[in-house]
Amino acid sequence: MIKKSTLRNLCKIVDEKNVVLESEKLGEFSIDGVLPQIVLSPNNIDQVSEIMKLASKDALSVIPWGSGTKSALGNKPDRADIVLSTKNLGRIIEHGASDLVATTECGITLKKFQEALNKENQFLAVDPPHVTHVNRRATIGGIIATNDSGPERLRYGTIREFLIGIKVVKADGSIFKGGSKVVKNVAGYDLPKLYVGSLGTLGIIVEATFRLYPVPEYSQTYVASFSSLEDCQETISTLLNSHLVITSLELLNPNLAASLAKRNDVDINDSRYSLVIGIRSVEKAVKEQIPSVKKICDQNNGNGFLISGTPEEKLWEDIRNFPWIILKSDRVVSKVGVVVTQIPQVLQTIKQISNEYGVKIYVSVRAGNGICIIALKGEGPSVNNALKHLRNFISSINGHLVLLEAPSEIKNSFDVWGEIGSGLGIMKRIKANYDPNNLLNPGRYI
Amino acid sequence: MTTQHKTKSSSWKNKFREKLIEIIGKEGVISSDDELLAYDCDALTGYRIKPIFVVLPTNTKQVSQVIKECYLENIPFVPRGAGTGLSGGALPTDEGIVISLTRMNKILDVDIPNQRVVVEPGVVNLWVTNAVSPYGYYYAPDPSSQIVCTIGGNVAENSGGVHCLKYGVTTNHVLGVEMVLPDGEIIEIGGKALDHPGYDITGLVVGSEGLLGIVTKVTLKIIKKPEAVKTLLASYDNVEDAGASVSGITARGVIPAGMEIMDSLCIKSVEETIGAGYPIDAGAILLVELDGPSAEVEAQLPIVEEVLKDNNAIQIKIAKNSKERDLLWKGRKSAFPAMGRISSDYYVQDGVIPRSKLAEVLGEIAELSKKYGLRVANVFHAGDGNLHPLVLYDASKEGDLDKTLELAGEILKVCVDKGGSITGEHGVGHDKKRFLSLMFDDNDLDAMNLIRCAFDNKDLCNPGKLFPTPRTCVEPGMKKFEEHPVQKAGMGEMY
Repeated sequence: MIKKSTLRNLCKIVDEKNVVLESEKLGEFSIDGVLPQIVLSPNNIDQVSEIMKLASKDALSVIPWGSGTKSALGNKPDRADIVLSTKNLGRIIEHGASDLVATTECGITLKKFQEALNKENQFLAVDPPHVTHVNRRATIGGIIATNDSGPERLRYGTIREFLIGIKVVKADGSIFKGGSKVVKNVAGYDLPKLYVGSLGTLGIIVEATFRLYPVPEYSQTYVASFSSLEDCQETISTLLNSHLVITSLELLNPNLAASLAKRNDVDINDSRYSLVIGIRSVEKAVKEQIPSVKKICDQNNGNGFLISGTPEEKLWEDIRNFPWIILKSDRVVSKVGVVVTQIPQVLQTIKQISNEYGVKIYVSVRAGNGICIIALKGEGPSVNNALKHLRNFISSINGHLVLLEAPSEIKNSFDVWGEIGSGLGIMKRIKANYDPNNLLNPGRYI
Repeated sequence: MTTQHKTKSSSWKNKFREKLIEIIGKEGVISSDDELLAYDCDALTGYRIKPIFVVLPTNTKQVSQVIKECYLENIPFVPRGAGTGLSGGALPTDEGIVISLTRMNKILDVDIPNQRVVVEPGVVNLWVTNAVSPYGYYYAPDPSSQIVCTIGGNVAENSGGVHCLKYGVTTNHVLGVEMVLPDGEIIEIGGKALDHPGYDITGLVVGSEGLLGIVTKVTLKIIKKPEAVKTLLASYDNVEDAGASVSGITARGVIPAGMEIMDSLCIKSVEETIGAGYPIDAGAILLVELDGPSAEVEAQLPIVEEVLKDNNAIQIKIAKNSKERDLLWKGRKSAFPAMGRISSDYYVQDGVIPRSKLAEVLGEIAELSKKYGLRVANVFHAGDGNLHPLVLYDASKEGDLDKTLELAGEILKVCVDKGGSITGEHGVGHDKKRFLSLMFDDNDLDAMNLIRCAFDNKDLCNPGKLFPTPRTCVEPGMKKFEEHPVQKAGMGEMY
């Protein structure tokens, strides 16, 4: 409980309109049923610092909040006194177009940031989900904190590779920066990396500097379907071992292919495994590489077709967002990381699990990265058991499974993060040094 | 007995040496004075400190055991690869030991289908590419010293190279490490698969300059060799035009694999040394390498040529075959050693500036060169704004080195003033620690120190490097560290 006097002091830091106290509105900021007592949306970094100083003084827990698109990630928080929303930290500080870098406050949505960068024909090379949603749109801070990514990570990597500088407000309210504003820099520890995927447990990320890329001038996507997983895998390894520079290479399981075929006006074969292969580059390079892609698919008995323009954009948009657009509720979403050659066994096992437990499972695999986004439909013991079976299998092949989203009853009996490994001790020491009173997102992660 | 006294005592030394021999064997412990001399500095030869012992472990367990002994006895230790570092990162610590990883030099796993290679830290950078080259792959980071420098050293320094504009530096190619923490604990982070849960300790360790522990195994990402490569050489009257070409190329949406500029002093010394075919009387040359699918390279080539011409390139030469290309690059990679032709000594800096400020900064460097009366040759990774000004001096001349260091410091100040960095790839080490506070204030340095303390609360692992002034560790939860009166008086120190 926040003391009355502290509550009053917290309210004094920000404008009245940037305070939420009404219990019905606080419901929007619930994390696994844990409600904050107050939501504060500071207007600037100094206000963030003031809030953290007060929180620190009274040992109040703080949940950093972008737009809440990934609030389902992590264990149920131990407590949540304050939600600190970054929605008013949305200013772009600098776009050095000739240097291909930009610095922004972290409450900005990725969509808005990209729109500004696009004016100079540049972009931040990440394509995570939740970017174009009507109400809740992923923010830069949230994408950093979760290291969220999309199919184009094959070509560009995740936000980790472009984050070159950060400014952070620590748990005690002190403000520090790490990295720099130039693309190449090794001065001091690479603190930006530490914050990528730290889920708000090490501070409030308030500013970030990125290296950017020029927007590729042209794009086409080839979609092929395969009657056997072996043919599909053979195609993947041939493509990856070729000179082709593929931007995104996504493998859809039959359930997902069927669902996306229905949503999109494209002729995806809905009973087979599908490969969606996107190439973005100069027009000449795209047009000369696509026939090679088709040839490789043909050689492995894959039937396909080419799309570009709006249908192409829409299909990729759906792939990025598939668990949330296909399953409006009662969904269990997880992310699995394995090596590329293990993908067929993962998909085989998922098929077995699906049959054994009677659970419908949708899978989209970043086939060049070994990352599988897996969505299970439904709730209850069968889903729970299916998930546990899957985790055990993935662990047995040295991969890992992280639960991205699930109903509370599943989270209560399932370790969201899985085995973190022998590095956990040092991670805990870092957390203890940065946040000695465990105020930031307590219990959700490290 | 304090550490300092202890290491001076021959009975303690003998006992400690026996322990090390017990762990590693006689052949892995160096203790004779003349042999120790080989380890008293890295490639920054201006600073030398003789370690008490050098140990050469052959496996992770030995590294761990040695570190545990050091932890127990409060003996500082410095990890070392091939010793090619330019910032004194492997400079031994007074009364400390050096742990050389050169005997841990096995390539443990070459996994082509998954595009991964797992190596021990003593593996030489180029060996990785050699191991995967028959399959059409390579390891992208290619520092100039790649024929000798080790992966462990690359990890410590987050090494770059001439192709990192497009492909990134070491940190973008390391997926996991096994390491021994400064108390001897062995941990494993990341690995072949991506997105391991937990903080990105790998990202933190890469570029930590050997202050967070000793890396004993590294998982690397390898990439497919490009289908086509085109290397262009453009010559100019002046460096400014070359610099403007660089910005012009990226402004047109082309990201070459590498873009390198050399000024007239560099050109001359390289030509005289190896004859790379550079136009000897040019004011500057720009090397541009495009790579990727043939169609992409073909589409980009005319754009690049157009930009070069628009920026007053006098002559544009395109390498006709791989032999010509290799020669052009050999010239670039020999730039440092070639300085020996025109000057007895040189001191290299490693500042970074925003690409767009190139012409401005070069002007200021020229001014400084005049002011100090010392020649400065410029060679740089122009694409990412990483300058390597080489200050030429004569070590035998009284005061020349001091003047050189002062001038080099002025150059770094210019870089930081323009929004840049004091080091792009060589590291802070011993050499540039006094300049780190140009970029970072006390809060920033405190945040870094919290990391160091999480890993190494006894300050034993490569101490005295990176941080401008010694910083102590505070137990989590303690408000503020108060110096003990004994410490304040300089009569003791905290461990």
